[in-house]
Amino acid sequence: MADKEATVYVVDLGESMADCHNGRVESDLDFGMRYVWDKISTTVAASRKTWTLGFVGLNTDETDNDLANGGELEGYDNISVLQPIGPMSMTELRELRSRVQPSRSYGADPVSAVVVALTMIEKYTKKLKYKRRIILVTNGESKIDDEELDAIAGKLNENKVELVVIGIDFDDPEYGFKEEDKSTAKKNNEQALQQLVDKCTEGVFGTMQQAVEELSIPRIKPVRPFKAYDGPLTLGDPDKYESAISIHVERYFKTKRAPPPSASTVVVNHGFSQSQAFKDEDEDVDMGGTEFSGVKQMRTYRVNDPDAPGGKRDVDFEELAKGYQYGRTVVPFGESDMSITKYNTKKSFTIIGFIPYDSYDPFINMGETGLIVSQKMNEEAELGLSALIHALHELGSYAVARYVQKDDAQVQILLLKPNPGLEDDFECLYDVSLPFAEDVRSYQFPPLDKVLTVSRNVLKEHRLLPDDELKDAMSDFVDAMDLSNYEVDEDGKPVDYAPVDEVYNPIIHRMNQAIRARAIDPDAPIGPPAEILLRYSKPPKKLLDKAKHEIGNLIDAAELKKVPEKAKGRFGKKDAVKPLSGLDIDSLLGGQPKRAAISSENAIPEFKQMLAAAEDDETIEKAVKQMGDIIRKLIKDSFADVFYSRAAENLGVMREELLGFEMPTLYNKYLRALKKSLLSGELDGDRRGMWYKHVVGGNLGLITKEELDVSDVTEEEAKQVS
Amino acid sequence: MAWGDDEERRFGGDEEEEELDENDYKTQKDAVLFAIDVSSSMLQPPPSSDNKKSDKDSAVTAALKCAYQFMQQRIIAQPKDMMGILLFGTEKSKFRDETGSRSGSGYPHCYLFTELDVPAAEDVKKLRELVEEGEDVDEVLVPSKEPVLMSNVLFCANQIFTTNAANFGSRRLFIITDNENPHGNDKQAKSSAAVRAKDLYDLGVAIELFPISRANKVFDLSKFYDDIIYRSPAEEADTSEGVKTSKSGDGLTLLNSLISNINSKQTPKRSYFSKMPFELAPGLTITVKGYMPLHQQKPARTCYVWLGGEQAQLAQSETVKIDSEARTVEKSEIKKAYKFGGEYIYFTPEEAKSLKELDSKVLRIIGFKPLANIPMWASVKKSTFIFPSEEGYVGSTRVFSALWQKLLVSEKVGIAWFVARKNANPVMVAIIPSGSLNDEDQDSTVPYLPAGLWLYPLPFADDIRNVDIKAPPKPANELTDKMREIIQNLQLPKAIYNPLKYPNPALQWHYKILQAMALDEDVPDEMEDLTVPKYKQIDKRVGGYLADWKEDLAVMAKEFMELRATKRELEEQEMELVERPRPAKRQKAAPGSTAGGRSSGHHMSNAELKAAWENDTLNKMTVAVLKDVLASKGISTTGKKADLLERLGAWIEENA
Repeated sequence: MADKEATVYVVDLGESMADCHNGRVESDLDFGMRYVWDKISTTVAASRKTWTLGFVGLNTDETDNDLANGGELEGYDNISVLQPIGPMSMTELRELRSRVQPSRSYGADPVSAVVVALTMIEKYTKKLKYKRRIILVTNGESKIDDEELDAIAGKLNENKVELVVIGIDFDDPEYGFKEEDKSTAKKNNEQALQQLVDKCTEGVFGTMQQAVEELSIPRIKPVRPFKAYDGPLTLGDPDKYESAISIHVERYFKTKRAPPPSASTVVVNHGFSQSQAFKDEDEDVDMGGTEFSGVKQMRTYRVNDPDAPGGKRDVDFEELAKGYQYGRTVVPFGESDMSITKYNTKKSFTIIGFIPYDSYDPFINMGETGLIVSQKMNEEAELGLSALIHALHELGSYAVARYVQKDDAQVQILLLKPNPGLEDDFECLYDVSLPFAEDVRSYQFPPLDKVLTVSRNVLKEHRLLPDDELKDAMSDFVDAMDLSNYEVDEDGKPVDYAPVDEVYNPIIHRMNQAIRARAIDPDAPIGPPAEILLRYSKPPKKLLDKAKHEIGNLIDAAELKKVPEKAKGRFGKKDAVKPLSGLDIDSLLGGQPKRAAISSENAIPEFKQMLAAAEDDETIEKAVKQMGDIIRKLIKDSFADVFYSRAAENLGVMREELLGFEMPTLYNKYLRALKKSLLSGELDGDRRGMWYKHVVGGNLGLITKEELDVSDVTEEEAKQVS
Repeated sequence: MAWGDDEERRFGGDEEEEELDENDYKTQKDAVLFAIDVSSSMLQPPPSSDNKKSDKDSAVTAALKCAYQFMQQRIIAQPKDMMGILLFGTEKSKFRDETGSRSGSGYPHCYLFTELDVPAAEDVKKLRELVEEGEDVDEVLVPSKEPVLMSNVLFCANQIFTTNAANFGSRRLFIITDNENPHGNDKQAKSSAAVRAKDLYDLGVAIELFPISRANKVFDLSKFYDDIIYRSPAEEADTSEGVKTSKSGDGLTLLNSLISNINSKQTPKRSYFSKMPFELAPGLTITVKGYMPLHQQKPARTCYVWLGGEQAQLAQSETVKIDSEARTVEKSEIKKAYKFGGEYIYFTPEEAKSLKELDSKVLRIIGFKPLANIPMWASVKKSTFIFPSEEGYVGSTRVFSALWQKLLVSEKVGIAWFVARKNANPVMVAIIPSGSLNDEDQDSTVPYLPAGLWLYPLPFADDIRNVDIKAPPKPANELTDKMREIIQNLQLPKAIYNPLKYPNPALQWHYKILQAMALDEDVPDEMEDLTVPKYKQIDKRVGGYLADWKEDLAVMAKEFMELRATKRELEEQEMELVERPRPAKRQKAAPGSTAGGRSSGHHMSNAELKAAWENDTLNKMTVAVLKDVLASKGISTTGKKADLLERLGAWIEENA
């Protein structure tokens, strides 16, 4: 959490650390640093001035530490402070990276290095409130003087320093690692370090294999509990009715969506010197580095003005008033009466009524969950809320309440669910918010268990409805694929697969891991996502094997047929669309004098009908030519942008139809010409808006090969013509 | 059109994903044109009756009232969408600016009463005057002597849509009439109408018919309208939704019947995603479409208005990106980078893409669980509705239906991995069925929502807040029994929460005030808030129980308090016996603290805080303790000690 931290990493840089052991292809140092860099970069990512760290190299060629520098003490040779304790940024990270190299030295005492680290911490943190920690990484080849372990442990405990020793190829029976052919020296050193850790009040002793393996397990950023509400929960109105009850409660968030890291918009800095760091737009953090700088948004405002070129002109921000829209009417407000449309509310939390469990479906809730407990050390509130929770639970009821978080906040309707704490010893109400009338859109769908025919008959057997065979196969399949009981624990109890608290948000951790990795080593390519992040993207293999038979049956009973891509054919293959009566409109049309030319006012239907009746390419070309002319004329006649949407719609229809007829060249040729005309001012003025906003913005670009195989336009080419 | 800001929200904002179907070049807007038949039978007032619940409106008035309500709802819920009103069969004719009488207009006996547009305040006012005050100053509600040609009506509508709602994703013509056969046996007139109807179909305009039946006579579609109406192209074959006839009777007025039929078509059915591969098992994929029937509606944001012209005008904003030298940055220069340790970490566009793309667009079941296995608190986001579509796999509907039935019967849910579209963040969802297998649909707990499957987003471990408090169960036995009686007597109507009964007061108020201001009317000073509990009823129904319960609570709380005090004393004595004298407390400031053992800032009760505040001893607390206290109250912990004290003081004044 937000506590201050001081951590010193003590890493063995001795010459033996440059060797590879136990079948690894990376050196002991690289292996160990995977863990260390990951830890350090997490600190860097947090960008907290109060999270400080230092770095001590063990077995360095030089000697540079306060204890040795004084010249009075012995046994502190070949130990160097590579980084004094302080906040860590990318700059320090880069410098540190260049210093962490294996040396040609050996023989320095790791425990002495711990003492150096301890001295640094003592000096830096004084007696202030800090979380103090020393992390020692070594392969245990350096000889340890174990005479003073008690005294050192005592010193660590006195200063409340946690000691973490992570050894490369250290044995760990609990994790299940044992190094074969371990030298006696290393064994002794391991034991000495183990003893030291055991003597510490706070200590961890582990093997690097485990530490590295656990790096891929996502770490969740802890968030301090946020109290959203602290006040009465009432039933009735205590101000008006003596009978009303009031229970003092506190409400916290139980779930809150964690956002993935968000990217900033930046530009590459130009050649000239960047003397002062650019202030970032939303935070007062100076962004260092020279490669990129942030981008600011600047707004300009325009209004319609028939006399201005292009029909619009810029206005100064100072000339503008604030307002709201009521339909298309704008209602300006003075700054002082902006709040008049705000509904005044008072902080309150009051029960509207109760509903049984089975009248609520989870999918109607609108989002995040809160939890409600009684005020602490308030016996009346504790007993009162407890009675409400248990009564709700016993009756199988939920409460519906009106909630206003603070004065003038929006009203919310909350559903309160009782959790009597019988299993988890946590007695509380959980709440979710419910929709208002305006939040519900009444969409109509046909029933799923019957088919209504046009003549209002009800069918229970139909190709859209499952027969008994399919229903049975589905039922067996669903039962066979049950996640809640296919695995059992040691006691034979079923284990719920993929419980909520074991599934990590893959994007958040994928991004964080990649950003950290890139920060540590900017040149390394991005690795694949960790297995744990994709574990729940597919059914567990064991379950699939178990349900193989049921899956096969279901596939057989389902008789699905894939719809082939691009089923649309060319001439005459399309089914003629008919009204409910099945009347053949085309024959009616045929009876009329043939529409010789497409009219501008009814362009789309006439264009479509002409194409539907077309029997040769020539007719299509003719129709496209006419439609093309209509589009150009609309643009040419358009005052400012008034006809642009119409032109875009016509163009869209042309594109869609030519896609269907597989004649991309016709469209592409027209579009290239249109672009030229639009940008050259040939169509009576500045028509760039038509091109960028409607053609490019409306996805009406060239038809590419990817979209339609017979096209000869590549993605690249299409991008250029945009 | 002036929706500059809107565009940005569509493409920039990702928080509340707008419902954009991919590859759609049309704007996701809806335009509805009401076409109301003004014939003498439509204008005929209902037979007078003393019954309060009987009809008071002629069919035309009912239709106009519907349109009025529709318009007001639209302004609140769909502020970007258009509507218009076309009266047909009128003596007068009017189209656009040409105000002609019988001759002159291109569309005789069609009267464009409200131009198709986003409604303006004047449109609302004009319509209100006509329906509520019956002020038909222009005498538009006069039926023509000769019949109107339906082909003209349809082509008139065609022109209105073509010019006013170009490139709209949804365009709908609502025809309200009681005439099942406008052209009798006139074949020529009938086929011209059918041809014009086909034009509308090709233009992408859906015709929704709201027939009104008279005296229990069935409105026979086959006489005329079967040639006019097409199945909406969005619907699946053979699953027509049917045309619902409005009528008076069964305790329902014509108005209510019409309102309910029209309301069900208020929002166009916009899909949130389509052609979604739904993988039930390896080798078994069907296709589904997704919808968002639930969407939190918020009051519109403020806009900037330019008052320099004759009329107040909305100022369209454009944003320009500038760099540190105030130089305008071209779009091609912009890169995305992540802040990390005071610097930007950069990925190439290809790398960024590969990072985000963990999977392609898919809904993949990984297994099933009993519904009861989903913790009751496991909720983070509104759910999405899915419905089968045959566009990718023929047979999808029957497989979907079988799954839906099985989940309903067994009370199970599917657990699935879900990527809503290319580059969308994957989420885990529970697939939960809605509706019921009962034919009568009486059992449905959500009559206002369709039957199908819902994708209910499950929280990730990252989304769960660790609430570091203890709440062991308390001994409240007798109180519980009494509370049960209270609960049983305060059930909501029909024992369900029906959102339709609870309009959002903030939204209602906002638009009520706006409407008054826009129309230069008196601003109301209060409004009925339907979310406020019926206090009087509560007092009447359970007042006695409540008073009783409160008395018992007071007694039990006192006993509980004493019990605690004794226990604490005992504990302290024991500790003194067993332990060495405790080391001196490190706690420096325990202002006003009297009870032992809970003086750390985190556990200070509100009463203690209040005492400290009144005694002016708050400032004796250290910054660390202050921050703890503030954090535990959910208040910002930044700033200097003075700031912290000020904030805490303010909080205590308000809350403790």
